[in-house]
This record gives sequence, C-alpha cells and structure tokens, in this order.
Amino acid sequence: MDYDALVIGGGHAGIEAALALARLGYSTLLVTQSLDAIGRLSCNPSIGGLSKGNIVREIDALGGEMARLIDRVMIQFRILNLRRGPAVRAFRAQADKFSYSRLAKETLEHQKDLHLFQDTVTDLLLDSSGRVVQGVKTERGNTISARTVVLTTGTFMEGMIFIGEHTAPSGRLGEPAALGLGTALRNLGFTVGRLKTGTPARAAGSSLDYDKMEEQPGDPEILAFSFSGAPVNRPNLPCYITYTNEETHRIIRENIHRSPLYGGKIVGKGPRYCPSIEDKVVRFPDRPRHQVFVEPEGLGTDEVYLNGISSSLPEEVQEKFLRTLPGLENLRIFRPGYAVEYDYLDPRQLFPSLETKRIKGLYVAGQTNGTSGYEEAACQGLMAGINAALALNGREPLILSRAEAYTGVLIDDLVTLGTEEPYRMFTSRAEYRLCLRHDTADLRLTGKGYRVGLQSSEAMERMEKKRQSLEEIRELLKQRTLKEGEIPGLPEGQGGKKLEVLLRNPQVSIADVLPLLPEVRDFSREILECVETDIKYEGYIKRQEQQVRRFEKLESIRIPPDFDYQPLEGMSAESKEKLRLIRPVSLGQASRISGVRSSDIAVLMVLLARRPK
Amino acid sequence: MMESIHDPDDAIAAPATPWGISALAVIRTTGCRCIEKVSTVFKPSDRLKKALGGMAVYGEVFNPADGSPADQVIALVFRAPASYTGQDTVELCCHGGIPSVRKVLDALKAAGFRDAGPGEFTLRAFLNGKVDLTQAEAVNELITAKTRRAHDLAFNRLSGALWKKVDEIKQSLVEVLSALELTLDYPEDEIEEPEEISLPTLSSARGKLQSLLKTYRTGRLFQQGIRLALAGRTNAGKSSLFNLLLREDRAIVSEIHGTTRDYLESWITMNGLPVLLLDTAGLRASDHPVEAEGIRRSEEIIENADLVLYLVDASRGLSAEDREYLEKSTDRVIPVWSKADIAAAEPPEGFLPVSTVTDQGREDLERRIYESVLGTEPLDAAVIDSERQKDCLTRALEALERFIGDVGEGIPLDAASADLKEAVDALGEITGEVTSSDILQRMFSRFCVGK
Repeated sequence: MDYDALVIGGGHAGIEAALALARLGYSTLLVTQSLDAIGRLSCNPSIGGLSKGNIVREIDALGGEMARLIDRVMIQFRILNLRRGPAVRAFRAQADKFSYSRLAKETLEHQKDLHLFQDTVTDLLLDSSGRVVQGVKTERGNTISARTVVLTTGTFMEGMIFIGEHTAPSGRLGEPAALGLGTALRNLGFTVGRLKTGTPARAAGSSLDYDKMEEQPGDPEILAFSFSGAPVNRPNLPCYITYTNEETHRIIRENIHRSPLYGGKIVGKGPRYCPSIEDKVVRFPDRPRHQVFVEPEGLGTDEVYLNGISSSLPEEVQEKFLRTLPGLENLRIFRPGYAVEYDYLDPRQLFPSLETKRIKGLYVAGQTNGTSGYEEAACQGLMAGINAALALNGREPLILSRAEAYTGVLIDDLVTLGTEEPYRMFTSRAEYRLCLRHDTADLRLTGKGYRVGLQSSEAMERMEKKRQSLEEIRELLKQRTLKEGEIPGLPEGQGGKKLEVLLRNPQVSIADVLPLLPEVRDFSREILECVETDIKYEGYIKRQEQQVRRFEKLESIRIPPDFDYQPLEGMSAESKEKLRLIRPVSLGQASRISGVRSSDIAVLMVLLARRPK
Repeated sequence: MMESIHDPDDAIAAPATPWGISALAVIRTTGCRCIEKVSTVFKPSDRLKKALGGMAVYGEVFNPADGSPADQVIALVFRAPASYTGQDTVELCCHGGIPSVRKVLDALKAAGFRDAGPGEFTLRAFLNGKVDLTQAEAVNELITAKTRRAHDLAFNRLSGALWKKVDEIKQSLVEVLSALELTLDYPEDEIEEPEEISLPTLSSARGKLQSLLKTYRTGRLFQQGIRLALAGRTNAGKSSLFNLLLREDRAIVSEIHGTTRDYLESWITMNGLPVLLLDTAGLRASDHPVEAEGIRRSEEIIENADLVLYLVDASRGLSAEDREYLEKSTDRVIPVWSKADIAAAEPPEGFLPVSTVTDQGREDLERRIYESVLGTEPLDAAVIDSERQKDCLTRALEALERFIGDVGEGIPLDAASADLKEAVDALGEITGEVTSSDILQRMFSRFCVGK
C-alpha cells in the first residue's frame, strides 16, 4: 500500500479528516484538484453562528483544527443572541478568507505523516470482492493505493454552475468540476442525488458608499473559539447593512424567466433557510425590503461579500438590481453570484461512523453527504477521520450521541433520516439544546478526544482545571451570604440571602456579586459566565438531563450489524424494509426512522433481549 | 410516548381485574422502587416496606394530597426476581367497583406510578427472563397484537370532533412555537421584525384545553355511570319508584314500614347514561339493631351517591324530618312528591310529582335526573373519554401554564421553549407527532430569513 489513508478533497471536511488521520499516526495523502484552493471559504466570509459556533468549539474539544484556524485569521468577533438565552448564544467571526486558506494549507504542510498531492480522483479501486476499498485512480492516470479512503468532494462531484443562460461544469466559479467520480459511484450501486446551492456577487469595496448604510461593528472584546487558551489579538472591522426596495424587486420579477432556477434548468433542491433573492421576492411578495449585509472578504483586499442576496440571474441583471440598493449605486462587480448544482450521496447509505455500508473502508463527509456550511462539513470530516483511524487500529468507532454534541445530532439525522435539501444545523434540531451550550463543549468532549488519541494531556488538564474552577466558584457562591445594602442598586430585603440564591434572580448578574468575591477575580469571564448560566438555568437543565437519561436507555440497546429482520412476525413489510435499509446500530436510532411504528420497536426490543449475549 | 412505553424500569400500575362491579378488584404495580413507592401512600407504611416477598399486608391506601382514605386493601408483596415481571411488585386487593379502584389508582399516580401500556407487564416478564423461550414467540405476537390494537383503538375512539379540536389547539401552539424557534435559530440582526409571542393565542389555547378537560367528566359519566340513591322516610315509596325506574319487580314492596332493611342496587340506563340505582332503608331513628345498621349503611350510600332522589309521601305531606333534611341538602338532591295520584294537594315548591301507579311524572323525573348530571346544553361532540387522553391534555395544559408563567417572568426563551414544545408533544400523542422538521418547515414557509 502507498498510504494508510487517502483523503479526497481539501475543503473543510478534508482538512479535518487528513489532520486527524495523520495525527493519529497513519501515513495519509490528501489529493485535491487544486492545492491553492485548500480551505477556501467558497461562500460567506464567516465562521460560527447559532449552533454552528457550538460545532466549531466541539471540533476544538475533540482535537480538530477549525477553531484554531479562525482564531488566527478573524477580522471581527461577535457573541450572538446574548439576550435570548444560553442555549442559543453563539460565537461568530468574520474571517480573512485568503489568510484562512493560506493558514489551512500551511497547517497541512507542516503536519507529520501527511502528504499533499494535486490531481483529480476519477474512480475507486476495490478488492476482488468489490466490497473493500483499496485506493483510487486519477485523471492523469495515477493509481494510489490506501487501506482507507475518505471522500470529501463538496460541490465538485459533477458540479455545474449557472449564471442566467450561462452554464459551465464547475465546482466553484473558475474551478473545473470533478468529473467521473459521481458516475463511478453510481455504477457501484450508490444512490446519488442532486442538490443546489447559491452564492451572491462580490464587489469592489471602493465602489460603495458606506455613508448610506448602517454600520454593524464587532464586539469590543474578542474571545477565542478554541479552548486552548491561546490569546486572540486580531483587528476588528465593521460590516454594513443596506436594504433592497420595490425597485430591486421589480427588476428581479421582470427577469425571473431568465433565472435557471425558475426556468427549470436546475433540478437539485436548494436550501429553504438560505434562499436566493429570487426566492425571497417570489415567495414573500409582501415584504417591502430585504436585508443585505456587506462584509469584508479580508484585510489585504478591496473585495466585499454581499450577504443575503445570492442570485443566479444573468450578470447584467445582477448589476442592475444591485445598483438600486442604497450605497451600491456605483457598484462594480468583481465576481457575479451563481448557483451550483452537484452530486451528493444519500447519507442513509452510511453507518453513524460515516463509513459506507456498501464498501468497507470508504468514508464520506461534508457537503457530499448533503449538508451545507463549513462547520457542518468540518465536524463530519473530523469524525470520518477519527473513525477511519480507529478502524485501521481495530477499535470501535466513536459515535457521539444527540445528547452530547451538535455533531452527534447532525450525523444521526443524516444517516437516519437522510436529507432532501442541503442540511444546515439549527438549535431546534437538538432535543436537548440546553445540554449543548458552546461553553461546555470542552467539558463534554475533551475526554473523548483524549481517549481517541487526538487530544493532548495538556488539554485534559486545562479541562479538569476548568471543572475545578467551576466547582470552586459555585462553592463560594453557596457559602457567602449577602449583607443588606452591600450591593448598591438591588431592591431591599435581599440581605441574608446566599449569593447562589441571589443569582437565580434574572435581574442579578455575576458581575454584580463579584465585588463580594475577591477570590474569583482572576477567573476568566467565560468561566464566571458558565457558572452564572449553570445557576440561572439549573431547573431547566436538570429537567433536560432527566429526559436525556431516559433517551439514553433506548440508545444503549445495541442492534448487531448482522441482525436479520426478515423472519420477524408481526412487523410490517414497510418497517422491515426501512430497518434493512438504514441498519440502525441501536434501538434508539431505529425508533427515529420515519415510518417505523412504536409497536415494531417493541417487537425489536423483545427479540434483542432474547438473543444470547 | 415511545419513551415511556419502552422504559422497562418505570413504576407502572394497572387494574388486573376488569373494570366494573365485583366483590374485589386487584391492582398490580411493578417497577423500580415499586414497594417503597406504594408505601408512601400506604398505612402502615413500614410494615409494607419491610414485608418479605410473598407476604400479605393489610392496610389502607390514602390520598397523599389530603390524607383521605382511598380504600382498605390487602397488599401482596413480591420481591425481585421472584415476581411475574421479575421486578419488585405489589398487588393491591381492594374493594370491587369503579370508585374504589379509581381512588386507589389516583393515589398510586400521586406516588409516582404511571398507567401501564398494553402488554407492558408481559413485556417486562419477558425482558427479565421470566417467560421461557418456548413461550417467546407467543409473547412476541401478544405484545404486537395488543399494542397495535390499542393503537388502532385509541385512534378510532378518538372521534372526529375531538381530533379536530385537539389538532386546532396544537396547530395554534405550533404556530407560536415556530415563530419562537425562528427567533432562537437566527441571530437578532438577521430578523428584521421579530414576531412577538402571541399571548392571546396562548391564553385561548389554555382556555380550550381547560374546557376540553371538563368534558372528561361527561365522557367518564357515560363510560362509568352515576350512582343514584333513593332516599326518604320509611314508606315514602322508594321501592315502588325503584321498580318503576327499573321496570321489573325486584325490591320487596310491602305496606310495613322499613321493609328494605339493607339496600338494593341495579344498573339501568337513562338516555344512554348508565345509572346505578340504589334503594335505601327509610331514614328514621330505630331501636332495632338490624334496622339501625341498615339505616347507618343507607346514610353512607346517600353520602356517596352522585345524585339523590328524596321522596316525600304526598298523602302524608312534609314532616319536620323532611324539612330538616331538605334544608341541609344541596343541588345533589331532587325532591320528589311521590304517590301523587292519591293526594289532591299541590306539590310544594321545587317538588316533582310522581305516581308509580299512573306513571305520572316518570318522564319528567328521568329528564330531571339526566339534566342535573349533564346540564341542559346539548352535549359537545368532542368529549374525552379515556384516561390516556385526559393525561395528555393535562400534561399539555400544565406545560402551557409553565410556559405562560416563564414568559411573564422574563425567563429567556431558549429555556422556556422546552415547555411549549412539551405541550405540543403531549397534544401530538393524541393526534400525531410533530417533529422538529415540521417546525422548521413551518418556520421557513412563514418567515423570510437567511442571509
């Protein structure tokens, strides 16, 4: 074998998969069509956001790279939804796109046991049974053997871009599609579908009049996504907000027949949560205006990203409607918006380890599995890399549950329910979101990363120290009693209360009681706020933890991979078919398959109990 | 729903004997810490807690809310693994009849038990290896058949009108929930016009849930019937009226006062409403020990009846005793002017003249009985009649009230939304599940979001 592991693709999934495999000691090759496009932010220039920011921190806790990358290249930082509660609070950062990509490549280059190679994979090599992957064939006729292969092709597999009447086989504007691999996978019997996504125009910042827009500054204090404790000292650039108007909408409506989406050229389904401006105008005709965010693409560039107005209308139409927006009257387009349609694999063909059920040793991650978003891709890449490495080592896969990580929710949704539109994470997809706060990701997952071998003992110590600090502060708050009048501004009659009790009051914050606790002054803001949230939401968190315990009972009943559903009496043919297709690993997963009835789960439970252990 | 059915450790309870009139009824309980849980509503608590497996303990089950007795019972204790289910088990032998079984079950619920699902005891027996392999296939089919039938039954019994009503409430809550989730799933700056939580929608849903829960009484009355006692002085014509309503000669009728020393009972139906007719001994002071005992029991029956017909012999007129009784009586009592055919006198205010000889007033009386239980309004088509439906609606109402309270107190919405989701889920157990993708679907169809 040439390599232990081979990763196809150098996007956010590929980066994490390759680093994880190499860091776990396996000789790894990352093959990509263009080494200059590693870690590219193809769409918006930001990382994080609601639930996505939590994913970035989960990646960090497990020993992945994304948080460290963004921490070093961010050009604006914000904490979102401060007022709406701890579960939906999240970090988001604007990224310097070009630095991000360069830093990602540099990180890969410096990684021991990892090689990079520029070529396009066109087919898989299998053993004589046709059931085990052994390597890949490439466009230039190279044959590279490997014991395991991770597929992370993003939007490139049979990618096709659309701008009005113009179409071209590309994965991104100006970059050729990867042709052949999608067909090869179809021939191997995989179910392959088409999805669509889109991106807006990029413009020359110097052609815009920012005085006509609202400024949207970053937070004055910058925090790190990574739990590593490395200080973040980065510039803080503003974004701007402007709005569409009736004139914009009129131009779009008049040209809607020239849209490849409405003209019927695109068959793939696009994301509802991130609609193109054509979609917004058509589906919400009563809305007088739509927001557009003007975001810098980086430090050393004049290029800006027009977030919220993705379009695949002809270029001259794009220019025409964009110029109706305040501040954009003299806009010069650098690159037009476009839609891209690409092949994705129905993720129900995967085990929760992200290994395909059809071919042993083949793992699939990222947009190829029907997701959308850098963070969603990266966490899958990390898990695929970890699980490919564990399999090479003969160990059980690492499967995160829905109650311990957004990453677990995402993968479980994909492999259990599949997806018919690009899948994006939402906090409401998680049943137990109060247990998945961003500030507890290290407590939840560092140990798992350490046991896998990806996290250092220093990271474990840091996490343990945080746990101790949390307990220490909590203990002090439990003991210390407030004297009447000690904190100015509090309503009367609070004297005699323990500080912990006082903090349950929504009006009182940890900052208010800090003067009474000189011992804790040196703790970081993050740790203090973590204690505060634990106290304020204790009742709700406890209730959710109870639900989690009940949920875990069904999860803990494993279904053997060779389980035969056929002879089961009293189970509907439809249920059997679905169970055979998904091959759930636990009774819990089986119960989430759509169309499988609770009575079928009861039958299954009885039969599983009957099997000799 | 699935979670609870398939949690094999939960403490569960269910009657092991059929609902209805019988001398004794058995209520079976099992599960984690079952014996301790029963002992929290059992006197003497310690004797039950310390009882060895296979022992019987005599005592009283009481309602923990007010300490009132539910019933005298004999508790049979089985300790794991020597029990039917393989878990700690207590079988409670109580008095037969719906009211006592109901009271004991209510007490058990307060102690932390939930209703057992169909076949759940057998399922546990199987999971704990109490049923051998040769029986396994049969058990398997049994469970399937039972759950599936129960499932079908639950859905069939759910009348169209009730489904529609519950679904309407659910939809209004899903509407609020999806708007709420939207504000939680997008940052502040991306939502131009955040939708306020619609308090009128919430309180209207609360009102609808409350009135729907009230129909449970009606549903239960039709299922379980009412107790109607005939009371009055001796020889007031109670037994004749009993026979008239029963339309068969069952009570011993004679001219000698106090013939009905004990009491007689029989089931009849009035406009579809099952009525347990209870004839009692005449209420008068007596030195005769047997008769005195009969009178004491009669008083107890009258006390426990849902409705009382108080008869006054028209030929003898109102006595001081009658006046005294009627003055104390409540709307539970219907005064009847019996033997109206032999007295010329007009009945006093509020009395209903009835003659068992001429059949005069019988129809009026039956209407009065029906209306005083169910009112004069035509019955709502949407009536809940199962314990499960009631439980779901109660859970939905409680969760909704918690949510309304949270919103009022300014609790952040990500924590509060769990309660609203719980309300929707509880209603979903009646009409069909709402998944997170349903909510996302609703979000994106109603709101224009996304950069």
